[in-house]
Amino acid sequence: MVFVNSDPTAGSSDLSGVRAVKLLVAGGFGVGKTTLVTAVSEIKPLRTEERLSSLGSGIDDLTGVERKTTTTVALDFGRITINPEVVLYLFGTPGQDRFWFMWRELSVGALGAVVLADTRRLSDSFGSIDFFESRGIPFIVAVNCFDGAEVYDEAEVRQAVDIDDHVPVQLCDVRDRTSSKRVLVRLLEHLMSVATAGAAPSRW
Amino acid sequence: MRQGGDDASFELAPGPLVRPFAVTRGRAGKDLHELDIITLVVAVRPEADVAGLDREYGDILRMCQRRPLSIAEISAQMGLLLAAVKVLVSDLIQSGHLIYRSPPPSTTGRPDIKLLQAVLDGVRKL
Repeated sequence: MVFVNSDPTAGSSDLSGVRAVKLLVAGGFGVGKTTLVTAVSEIKPLRTEERLSSLGSGIDDLTGVERKTTTTVALDFGRITINPEVVLYLFGTPGQDRFWFMWRELSVGALGAVVLADTRRLSDSFGSIDFFESRGIPFIVAVNCFDGAEVYDEAEVRQAVDIDDHVPVQLCDVRDRTSSKRVLVRLLEHLMSVATAGAAPSRW
Repeated sequence: MRQGGDDASFELAPGPLVRPFAVTRGRAGKDLHELDIITLVVAVRPEADVAGLDREYGDILRMCQRRPLSIAEISAQMGLLLAAVKVLVSDLIQSGHLIYRSPPPSTTGRPDIKLLQAVLDGVRKL
């Protein structure tokens, strides 16, 4: 546990009992990632930005960078205070796959992920699925059932996206808080079962 | 860039795209205390201590009084890039104004089942 520079005599603040954890919500552009985060977050989702060229490459020397054109990538996130000791952050990863895959910091230490898919554009979710599979990050696939979208059952979706049997597939409507909450519950139950199954699998 | 703080339009105008590292005086930070996007920080010096600090330092210190905030939240509230906020927060840790707590380093260890259960219980209660 990293916790330094604490001066017990200064101020009344303490961090010793507090932990922050994160879950990721990934998927293609416009699939409803921010909507899902909004549905369950206790705060209005916030947006943060990072310089594209600094992602995935650690820290580099930026002397003189002010004169260069800077590309940034934004991500939206929400917060759920689980209890006085645990704060959960939900990060909706940027819609442009090629950007967020560079964002190593985002996936390192993540408890797990939701891959949000749209049955009209299932192939948009392949990149996210491959990413989490290759990183050994446990995930579930949540299918956002848009109005007017053809309704598939779980088995059809599972076959279409070619995921292993033990990866849960959950149909949802991310505009609905209860439905979005159910997605998170399903993910966390999956994470529990993976964790209690013993050896953390590196591949699915 | 701190002069002219009374010019509201100047304060509002420059966004993160315009001056990504102007507030850090061009530094990208070599020693960032292993700050992560969800590293929590909290002020351990009273708000009065912001007198004499640069505006951005003061802003951070004020928003972290008695309630921990993540680097991501500070970045969002200030409209500054994550990397820039890490430099500023790092300075405030160095100067003893903030303390911080980073998440455990990696996913290589086995998941903390008690922690997962707590998160699951919390989400169920939403």
